[in-house]
Amino acid sequence: MAAYLSMGEAHRRIADYLSRVADSVSSSDGAALASLLAVSSAQAPAPLSDALSAFPDFPRLAADRYPHLSDLLPPLLRAIHSHSLRRFADAYSSFEKAANAFLQEFRNWETPWAMEAMHTVALEIRLLAEKADRELATSGKNPDKLQSAGSFLMKVFGALAVKGPKRIGALYVTCQLFKIYFRLGTVHLCRSVIRSIETARNFDFEDFPVKDKVTYMYYTGRLEVFNENFLVADQKLTYALVHCNPQYESNLRRILKFLIPVKLSIGVLPRITLLERYNLLEYADVVTSLKRGDLRLLRQALERHEDQFLKSGVYLVLEKLELQVYQRLVKKIHIIQRQKEPAKAHQIKLEVVVKALKWLEIDMDVDEVECIMACLIYKNLIKGYFAHKSKVLVLSKQDPFPKLNGKPV
Amino acid sequence: MIHKGMFRFRETIRVWQAVHLIMLSQLWAQKMRLILTCLTQVHFNMGTLLQNMQTIIIVTHKLQMVLLSSKEEQINIQTAPGYGTSNSYYQNSTWNGGSFENNYAQSYQNYPSSNTNTVQHSISVPTNSFSYQQQYNQWPYYYNHTVPNPAGDPVGNSNSIVNTTSSYSYPSIQPPPPGTTSWKSNSSSSIAPPIQASGGPGPQDQYINQAHAPVLENQYAGQVAGNPRSQNHYASQTPACPQSTVNLNPVQQSNHGDQQNTVPRIAPGFSMVIPKSEKKILGADLSKKPAYVSVSMVKNDARSLPFSLHNYATRNLNCCKDEAQKAACQSMIEEIKNSAIADGTLLTKNWDTEPLLPLVQNVATIPETSANNSSPSLSTSTNRRRQKSRWEPVVEEKVTDKVEPVKGLVNGTTHNNLEAKNRMSNNWDSRKFFQSHHATANKVSQRPAKKQKISSYSDQMQNGNASSDSDKEQDLTKYYASATALANSPEEKKRREHRSKRFEKNQNSSSKSRNSAASKDVMANIHARRAVSALLARSCEDGTTLAVEDMDWDALTVKGTCQEIEKRYLRLTSAPDPATVRPEHVLEKALSMVETSQKNYLYKCDQLKSIRQDLTVQRIQNELTVKVYETHARLAMQAGDLPEYNQCQSQLKRLYAEGIKGCYFEFSAYNLLCVMLHSNNKRDLLSSLARLSKQAKQDEAVKHALAVHSAVSSGNYVLFFKLYKQAPNLNSCLMDLYVERMRFEAVKCMSKSYRPTIPVGYVAQILGFSRIDSEASEECEMWLKAHGAILSIDNSRDLQLDTKASTTTLYMPEPENAVAHGDASLAVNDFLART
Repeated sequence: MAAYLSMGEAHRRIADYLSRVADSVSSSDGAALASLLAVSSAQAPAPLSDALSAFPDFPRLAADRYPHLSDLLPPLLRAIHSHSLRRFADAYSSFEKAANAFLQEFRNWETPWAMEAMHTVALEIRLLAEKADRELATSGKNPDKLQSAGSFLMKVFGALAVKGPKRIGALYVTCQLFKIYFRLGTVHLCRSVIRSIETARNFDFEDFPVKDKVTYMYYTGRLEVFNENFLVADQKLTYALVHCNPQYESNLRRILKFLIPVKLSIGVLPRITLLERYNLLEYADVVTSLKRGDLRLLRQALERHEDQFLKSGVYLVLEKLELQVYQRLVKKIHIIQRQKEPAKAHQIKLEVVVKALKWLEIDMDVDEVECIMACLIYKNLIKGYFAHKSKVLVLSKQDPFPKLNGKPV
Repeated sequence: MIHKGMFRFRETIRVWQAVHLIMLSQLWAQKMRLILTCLTQVHFNMGTLLQNMQTIIIVTHKLQMVLLSSKEEQINIQTAPGYGTSNSYYQNSTWNGGSFENNYAQSYQNYPSSNTNTVQHSISVPTNSFSYQQQYNQWPYYYNHTVPNPAGDPVGNSNSIVNTTSSYSYPSIQPPPPGTTSWKSNSSSSIAPPIQASGGPGPQDQYINQAHAPVLENQYAGQVAGNPRSQNHYASQTPACPQSTVNLNPVQQSNHGDQQNTVPRIAPGFSMVIPKSEKKILGADLSKKPAYVSVSMVKNDARSLPFSLHNYATRNLNCCKDEAQKAACQSMIEEIKNSAIADGTLLTKNWDTEPLLPLVQNVATIPETSANNSSPSLSTSTNRRRQKSRWEPVVEEKVTDKVEPVKGLVNGTTHNNLEAKNRMSNNWDSRKFFQSHHATANKVSQRPAKKQKISSYSDQMQNGNASSDSDKEQDLTKYYASATALANSPEEKKRREHRSKRFEKNQNSSSKSRNSAASKDVMANIHARRAVSALLARSCEDGTTLAVEDMDWDALTVKGTCQEIEKRYLRLTSAPDPATVRPEHVLEKALSMVETSQKNYLYKCDQLKSIRQDLTVQRIQNELTVKVYETHARLAMQAGDLPEYNQCQSQLKRLYAEGIKGCYFEFSAYNLLCVMLHSNNKRDLLSSLARLSKQAKQDEAVKHALAVHSAVSSGNYVLFFKLYKQAPNLNSCLMDLYVERMRFEAVKCMSKSYRPTIPVGYVAQILGFSRIDSEASEECEMWLKAHGAILSIDNSRDLQLDTKASTTTLYMPEPENAVAHGDASLAVNDFLART
């Protein structure tokens, strides 16, 4: 076919697209409408973009041919056209107009036949907003489209969260909102949405689709990590891991990236094979340092992968593992002492610990090491007491190094 | 030569003395007219003004004429008595003294101008322009000439007078709004004295600068003083509109009241006449002829009244239409007032009342003006009353002179008649004098009259006047000729002002001139520019246009002109006034002052907020801005003022992001400490840590902050307090706010971990109590007891913390200095000490 498109052919293609949109609306075909509304995905037909370029008067054509859809079709075509020209800010603006028009109609429809299309709109507006913000940031302007997308999705959530057959689709929109808020860094805005989901009587969590539940649990689990509620985080992330489709390994990796630090905090160590399988080897040295009681190795591992841990938000969680490493160190000293002098197995002199730390190239004075011993006792990592006058750590005869058993430090 | 020097010296003294009387509104109104008359050099206006002058002024004028026309010997004889008379009047009444001296000074200015006119033979328009330049240049020349006066004492006296004048008249340059009158007056008066005390750049320059300022002040004061009188003109005219019968009643009532006020003023004049009885006898012979001439002049005035009234009615309607448009524009009011003053000098007396209509409507909304209504109204009514009755007293005078001339002098009841007679006599003398000495000038003035005959005729047609009286034509011709001349000179004056303004801007930027002088010059130029625009305005609409343009231009730029180092912080409730905003170089001084001040934090916070406000208003963002915020943040940290610190920190973050240099690493450390110790937001801490660059992590302060975070994260209280003692910069100030909590956690930890006891001395040592051991133990003991710890004494009499018993009794007590509003730093004593 020739590169140049004739006016007649362009007109025909545009008319065909408009006709299919109108037919899908009149016949309540949600799936067909959803595919037609996918502006930025690969499903967008390339021939349509060429036709729009060849026929600049397409808005008037759309408005004249289908007056009852004049709020939806011209901005939708304009969005497709701008996106094909890689003008994402303009594409977002046009698509937002079309999305608002669609939402207005969606509210009036009794049955949720168009839910799939609504979800497509929610997804597309987030993707377009991300592209638009990158474009705006590159050109030195204020990237605020993602925030606008968040406002729009809040309106959609309000339309869905009422009592009725449409509520089944609310969780998907919630997950799109989570993605926006996590990217913007305004995670505190998630709280109001979560409250609506978890406290409203209109919802039964089990009624939602599995994939939406997995995504929801993943994001709420991440929130609990920020709040250092490791037990709740463990429950949510484990739910997501168990119910995630095993075929999507990238999703499994994402869940494990947060679940592993949580497990470490409650005293559970993963196997190396798991780390290797899902390419999470940045945690390998951390696990090794916990096994050995090697504080030096822990600090080196944190320093080496600092950017990675800071970006994902688990740096502070891993930093707190230092006390567990100390506990392991004292435990090893205790084992060695028991072999040498069984009679004094439960008394560890402070100077021995100081020597061990010095061997690890960690320079601490006696007062500081004493303080760490006191902290270990205070946080129930060690059972016993410290005699200040004689500088001796006296261990309990029964279970001096208790397991965490799921209780975080 | 000696006589000339003495003459000019007395001129100088009288000018300075005249400036003292700035508050007399009537006097300044007349002065303003005199000044404008000198500038325009129009004899017609001079004649008109002479008719309106008071008795004293007429007598003074007569002396001037005699002085100029007599021989050298006669000059010597007349000079001494004149000086004595001046002193006598100054002692008796400041009003009369000022009037006498001012007129005398102005009269002197006419003399060289007259010579110039005689020498030059060009047409009148260029002649007037040249004369204007000549006069303008003469002022600095005149004062320069006065400075090298050989007599030591007179120069000293002049300087003292100058200082007094400047100090006294300074507040009048800035008329305050009604609401803030007292505050601004106090502020202005407090500034002037210390500036006067400081030495100027040089005695001669200082003297000249002082010489210029009073002149401009006089002009400004005249304008201000003229406004109330002009407004009252309209007030007195208002009842005359509906019926002519109503017009008579208020006039008579006003006249009656004014007679009582007039008596004290005339008394000194009466005493002046007695010593000169011989001259008066000689003058009596001449009085017959002037009486006849005056009668004919009065008739001419009577004929011209209908024309003036007709024109007045027409313009009155025009002004009424414009009233609504100007109501909300204050600056337009001032422009119109200036325009009215300017028109007053160009038009006849009746014309003078026409531009007043819109002013009264605007003034009605200002209650302050009502206080100035009474006295100007009375004087205005008096003038109008005398004008109407000018013809009748002449007849009475004739009868009186024939019957009993001596008795008339003594009898008080015939005082008014005597005054009228003197006035007419002087009018005749002045006219004859000018005719004899300026014959050439008259010929020169006649030429432009012939050339402009056609234009003046067309103007008459526009006015709708069909009269073709020859005298009226001549009057109108002179009027339009002078108007044309005036149109040219203001333009030149405006250009000159622009150059002067540019020069003064340079002075301000270089900070060479004194602050008070600079501010005075700026204010003077502002008002002078308004005067020029008023002169240019021929109608109300033109005035409106200029006013609007001026407003727009001023609003576009906010450049501070305030020179105060100290300034209290007040939230802005309207557009900032440039006079209250300090420019950048003044803010630098203010910052240095705050840094070296010994006052408390509240005072410094107030001053720094004010500095920040001035920077924000002028949109200044540079290293000075960064320095101000850094200084404020450091002071806030030392005082424990976290909210203020957070404000400064957020601004600094923005300024650093824009690339402005400052103590970036120091404040990165502060930011980390603040986030980790005083907020529960883990995400903010993560983003702060992620934002740190590798260079920042190498900085000692940042390293310290990261170590503090590590200690807090693992509960390592020993490391925390070790870092607390080694803190760089002001890191310890931010840690101060966490010390209490850390100690409490540490004691809880020790109570659970140590058995059976732990020495209090050891606790004091590792928890960062005072460095002196004895004091540390005592302080720690008090702290432990306040927090519910159980203490005991062991065998060796050392104080011990009973760890087992204390585990269940520890608690965090309520803060001792808690107050209702939650901010202990807002103590009453500090609040009172601020003022």
